[in-house]
Amino acid sequence: MREKNQVTKEDNIEVWADLVNIRHLVFALVLTSAFTLGAYFIAPNEEPKPLYFGLIGSLIGFIISSMVIKPKRKFKTVENGEA
Amino acid sequence: MDIALIIQMIIAAVAGTFIYTIIGIAPGTDETAVLAPVTLVLVLTGLEPIVILTFFIAAIIAKKLTDSIPVAVAGIPGGVMAAPMVEHALVLKKHGKSDLSIRKMASGSVIGTIVAVPLSLLLANALIPFSDVIQTYTNQILFGGAIILALMSRNRWIALASIVPFAILIQGLRYLYWGVGVVPEGTNVFISFFLGITIGPVILTLFELLNKDKRKAMNRYGTKTITLNKDNRYKGIPNPFKILTKQELSISTLSSFFGSILFILSPVGITILLGELVSSRVKDPVKKSSLAISSMDALTNASYIAGTLIPLIALGIPLSPVAIGPANALFNAPPVFTLEHNMHHILSNADFVWAVAIGAIVAIVITYFIIVKYAQQICTFVFKWVPHEAMLGLFFGLVLLLAYMDGGLVNIGGVLLIGLVAGFMHRLGINYGVQFMVLYAAPWIVTQLASLS
Repeated sequence: MREKNQVTKEDNIEVWADLVNIRHLVFALVLTSAFTLGAYFIAPNEEPKPLYFGLIGSLIGFIISSMVIKPKRKFKTVENGEA
Repeated sequence: MDIALIIQMIIAAVAGTFIYTIIGIAPGTDETAVLAPVTLVLVLTGLEPIVILTFFIAAIIAKKLTDSIPVAVAGIPGGVMAAPMVEHALVLKKHGKSDLSIRKMASGSVIGTIVAVPLSLLLANALIPFSDVIQTYTNQILFGGAIILALMSRNRWIALASIVPFAILIQGLRYLYWGVGVVPEGTNVFISFFLGITIGPVILTLFELLNKDKRKAMNRYGTKTITLNKDNRYKGIPNPFKILTKQELSISTLSSFFGSILFILSPVGITILLGELVSSRVKDPVKKSSLAISSMDALTNASYIAGTLIPLIALGIPLSPVAIGPANALFNAPPVFTLEHNMHHILSNADFVWAVAIGAIVAIVITYFIIVKYAQQICTFVFKWVPHEAMLGLFFGLVLLLAYMDGGLVNIGGVLLIGLVAGFMHRLGINYGVQFMVLYAAPWIVTQLASLS
């Protein structure tokens, strides 16, 4: 999917000091929240397992989002000293 | 101190170091937002307090060592506290010296840590005789703290005016929860409100996205271009005492000293002040900038360590901007820690020394060497593979989880409400410090107001 969602138009917005694409942001928020709460609810009901499950869920959501969404950053390499 | 515990502490320190080396580099990460939720969660899992403290110390040191790296490599601050350094780092970058700038900053951080750790332990012990008096007036001090922070901020009058309404919002929700029975009466929901304030600005923006006109009116951007210099790797074993010049070493030591003593003030404020003091005295731009960034990094590191350790060891009340923000979970994370029962009460002096020593040494050894050698590669990796969306998703997910655990579905709504109001207040120029202090002082403020009428 990394190739598919190449952002070519200028349609990113700034949230909290970095650029995001609204659709991608919604995707990451929904996916991570679903994994977090989903894992929390399927966990065995004895402390502190639900919390651990929730945390692992949030990490899985984070990793999937990172794999699917392409950061809105471009790179330019220059010789030392050029601006 | 048994071996099993020491091994746990070392593992915690290594974990904290690796996680926050990566997070430190990711752009735009606010210290409170990235440190507080994870620490809170660790406290709630019921790990040994000494292990959590070790984790936290390693985490702040790694975070402070790394958050200035993107400044040097790309001119983007990795955190709020790195922002004052951008100007000087850009001068060095323009002269083709970003690698030098990284070495100077990281070395400054190490000096800050070396100075701040023993000094904080000393200062804390000097304060202990007064702790009884201070603790009797906790509520008044927290309220006073809110007022002082408001007065010291740039938008002081609006900050001052916001104290009472915000306290009423917080207490209003708590009484509502008791009324409908989602939380037992007398239990103050705290953690999730705290996180609601932290990610308030993001919540407000997310709500705005739901408004079609607002969404259309938002500034649109293509991609952010990040300029990297061609790699030049540092050869040999890095040593901060060789990397820094004599002048840089002495100014860094001096500023770490002041950063520790002035732990009660805002670290960003003192850093900006110091930067201006230093830069007005040296002429040569490269020398001036490397002096400024090394001593600024020393100072932020020192004020972070002192701001955490001094209130924690001496008082058990979060009386510094760092303690009330990122380190908050060490003071108050009900039901595990409360202001009457937290690390201050549980850990002995020797425990503090052990935790700080292990955390600091592990973080410095790993991060300092890695950074001086591989700064550019790490930066490129994080910039290329960690999208901002995923970071926001992670924090949002954590906030939902903790909100649900604190007070069920009702509290998810409550936390969104707190986030909306806090985000709006943030936009009006009311800083986090004031909002956090009000969160602490809210029960007292409202009771006092009620008894007056």
